[in-house]
Amino acid sequence: MPLHKLTIATAMAATLALGACNEKGGNTAPKSEAAKEAAGDSTIAAGLGDATKFAAAAKSTGLDATLAGPGPYTVLVPTDAAFDKLPAGALDTLMKDEGRQELTGILTYHILPGAVLAEDINKAIEAGKGKALLATMAGGTLTATKEGDAIVISDGAGTKAKILGGDEKRSNGVIHRIDAVMMPS
Amino acid sequence: MLKWMLAAGAAALAISAPVAAQKGHGGGKEHGQEMKGQKGGGQKANRGNRGGGNDGAMRGPQRSEKQKFVQRDDHRGQGQIKQADRGKGNAKVNLGRPGHAMGRDDRDVRVVRLDRHDDGVRFVPRFNDRAMGLIEGCPPGLAKKGNGCMPPGLAKKVVGTPLTAALGLSALSGPYRSWYRDNDDFMYRWDDDYIYRVRRDGGLIDALFPYANRDYYYYPMGMSYPLDYNYYNVPYQYQSFYPDGGDYWYRYGDGAIYRVNPSTGLISGISALLTGNSFAVGQPLPAGYGMYNVPFGYRDRYYDTPDAWYRYNDGYIYRVDPTTQLVTAVINALV
Repeated sequence: MPLHKLTIATAMAATLALGACNEKGGNTAPKSEAAKEAAGDSTIAAGLGDATKFAAAAKSTGLDATLAGPGPYTVLVPTDAAFDKLPAGALDTLMKDEGRQELTGILTYHILPGAVLAEDINKAIEAGKGKALLATMAGGTLTATKEGDAIVISDGAGTKAKILGGDEKRSNGVIHRIDAVMMPS
Repeated sequence: MLKWMLAAGAAALAISAPVAAQKGHGGGKEHGQEMKGQKGGGQKANRGNRGGGNDGAMRGPQRSEKQKFVQRDDHRGQGQIKQADRGKGNAKVNLGRPGHAMGRDDRDVRVVRLDRHDDGVRFVPRFNDRAMGLIEGCPPGLAKKGNGCMPPGLAKKVVGTPLTAALGLSALSGPYRSWYRDNDDFMYRWDDDYIYRVRRDGGLIDALFPYANRDYYYYPMGMSYPLDYNYYNVPYQYQSFYPDGGDYWYRYGDGAIYRVNPSTGLISGISALLTGNSFAVGQPLPAGYGMYNVPFGYRDRYYDTPDAWYRYNDGYIYRVDPTTQLVTAVINALV
């Protein structure tokens, strides 16, 4: 875009934005404070801990804002070791501009609506005679089963992930750590 | 042209031409089709959804005039994944994203492919050098699902025109009925592809935006939110969290509420995710909600009993009959 057009358009946008403020009585303070308050202080985003690769992927896709928002969500967080099971360079590629949309779909496959504790999954597996479907934000479902005492989550292609450490309650949901990355299909 | 082959053993990787994407799951995000079916099948009984929940004072759209911003030509890559066969052993698995095969020419489509072998997943992105941004004239992430796509620019012409009689009768159903509520100033109508906001005073179409909600499909951060659909369209229940007029604009599209930088028009984050799953009174509980998922702050009030289950979705808590698996009431709005 030629520079002068960019300048004009930017000025227009600024004017319109200003107009919006005036429309609302000139209040230019951030309006999403309600969302921050609802999310609380100890959010999922703040509780990712040593899951550095998942945290980096969330930041790359802008989903860090989701995980710091009101939710509530249940997040299956693959450990760094889980990401290391992917082919060499795969995550790096997904985090480039060209892979970002793809990565967004993968991460949202790990996010479930509401707050689901391990106990809730166990009950659903029991009621479902050995398995339970879990709705994800991405649209597809995951399948939960038991292997001994452990809860195992499977993606559409049959890749299995074990819940390693579950029930990390956060102010906007809950984190369960898993040992494999789920891939949508 | 960029061609990357990150996977080891390239020879082992089957090269697959882009194919029509298939849906992989039943309980999915792709509700446009579902909605279309509902529209045809008299599913407007979904209006039961309106009765409960937070049906207090309806908020009108916060801004009635179209907002404009700089639209950069830096369309980012749209990872396109195709889904084909799935199998065991060495059978390749091309993991796909539904709804991406809208290009008239496969060469227009970028393909990122994940091949699954015995020894793990092989990630195979393939790109071409065609400019990305519009697929068959549809903005990525908001492409149409019905009878082709509204040509670029036509959306602008629709705004300001009178509502047709047919469209006037086409009230929303499914989750959209509670997301976009008629009020004293505006009403919402839809066709197979778009939701239209209509100003009651004068009866002119005031805004429109696509409501496609495809599995695993999101705008990538950093791309422009489409100028043609730059209207405040945050679903009703999230408007108090994500209003206009502050540091950011918030826009809905494809199952997410995006945070948009007002000065550049670029998406700077994803503020919230919505499943778009249809919870309506009298309708079956969607697949994938067998487990109790009520937020912690509400668990002392809404806990499962032999007579009633409670489930959370997209800002609301619903009551479900465990025997019939039908949604029986909208209990609470959390926002």
